[in-house]
Amino acid sequence: MRNLLQILAKYHRLILFILLEGVAISLIVNSNNYHNTQVLKSVRKATIAWEGIVTDVRNYFRIRKINEDLQAENTTLKNILLKYKNLPDSVLFLITDTASESIYEFYPATVVNNSVNRQKNYFTINRGKKHGVDVNMAVVSPWGVAGIIVASSDNFSVVMPVINIDFKLSSKIKSNDYFGSLTWDGRNCNYALLNDIPQHVTLNTGDTVVTTGYSSIFPGNIMVGIISEFEKSGSDFYRIRVRLATEFRRLTYVNIIKNRNRAEQVILERGFQ
Amino acid sequence: MINRIIRYTGIYVILMLLQIFVLNNIQFSGYVNPYIYILFILLLPVETAGWIVLIVSFFAGLILDLFTNTPGMHAGASAGAGFIRPYILRAISPRDGYKPDSEPSMIIYGFRWFLVYSLAIVTVHHLLLFYLEVFSLAGFLRTFLRVILSTVFSVTFIILAEYFRGVVRK
Repeated sequence: MRNLLQILAKYHRLILFILLEGVAISLIVNSNNYHNTQVLKSVRKATIAWEGIVTDVRNYFRIRKINEDLQAENTTLKNILLKYKNLPDSVLFLITDTASESIYEFYPATVVNNSVNRQKNYFTINRGKKHGVDVNMAVVSPWGVAGIIVASSDNFSVVMPVINIDFKLSSKIKSNDYFGSLTWDGRNCNYALLNDIPQHVTLNTGDTVVTTGYSSIFPGNIMVGIISEFEKSGSDFYRIRVRLATEFRRLTYVNIIKNRNRAEQVILERGFQ
Repeated sequence: MINRIIRYTGIYVILMLLQIFVLNNIQFSGYVNPYIYILFILLLPVETAGWIVLIVSFFAGLILDLFTNTPGMHAGASAGAGFIRPYILRAISPRDGYKPDSEPSMIIYGFRWFLVYSLAIVTVHHLLLFYLEVFSLAGFLRTFLRVILSTVFSVTFIILAEYFRGVVRK
């Protein structure tokens, strides 16, 4: 017993250090779905209020740019609307969904906390369960794909953006419909990698990359980015760098897309996986 | 004692504000994130008991974690810095020892001593921080490059802050 006490006295710093590192590592490991760590949850409320203030100040300085972006988006939407206005009625009927309403619902949201300089980036938006938002919903920015909701509380949701090394998105090249998975290599928050495109496909820099809609989270044909460079690697696949459409550094207004039929699709598919 | 606690709380708050509002928004090419809050751990009085340094550093990191959404990362890295600090202080002690009741700052012990001191601790901190962040040895060299570049920047910012403190004191 005395020996034990002596050892404790002698190595108390080392023991304390190992203990603290243990706490830190368990926090990190749990942080893959870190929203579950109860200790942090209560304190997060305090810091989120604080982040709200910081975001308000930032948005004030960015207001001009935000306006321009919204205007640009408005213009595109108006153009699309115009296209439908000019269609004859019969065609309009043909393209409506058989369920007579769209399977996708949109919710607007504002980004209240954001990071671009880590390997596992996340951002927080001000919509939560109270507003009908839940995990596994898609988030798009005015420019294109932004991320997927990985956790939501009553008032907030945490989004895993494209620029997180754990993120994967099924995307295709618009011109030829070949699809692969989009990942981020942790380097530059403006570029991602498109994998699994076989080398016999003809590519051009500037080709548009869009979502496939295979995932039941994202609808198809949402802008992801454009191919900025590609090269043949040792394997059978290209190494493609995609310039992301979304500017994560100044992400402010986003839309959440809810797929109403997702639950149904997931349950049906579960039997075959 | 009370004075000292107030003083260090003040230093901590200022460094935190700098870290959260300014340095966390700096990013050069995805590799470099300077961290100035380590200066707080560097500046704790020389004779502070080892276990106090450890606990204080751990919580200093944990509080930053709350603001950056990275539970455990900074806490773990700071605890590492706090753990290694007494060894480094012992290894590079000046010839006539540390002045009693002093803080290991550049103002007292000079630029060269402080450069070695901060470089050593910041390197340990960043090694832990960036490897805890990716949490794997995949991309070992790339993470290592991030460690080195960020260390250079952090130490630069820390030394600038110390210069500033020296100027203000005069």
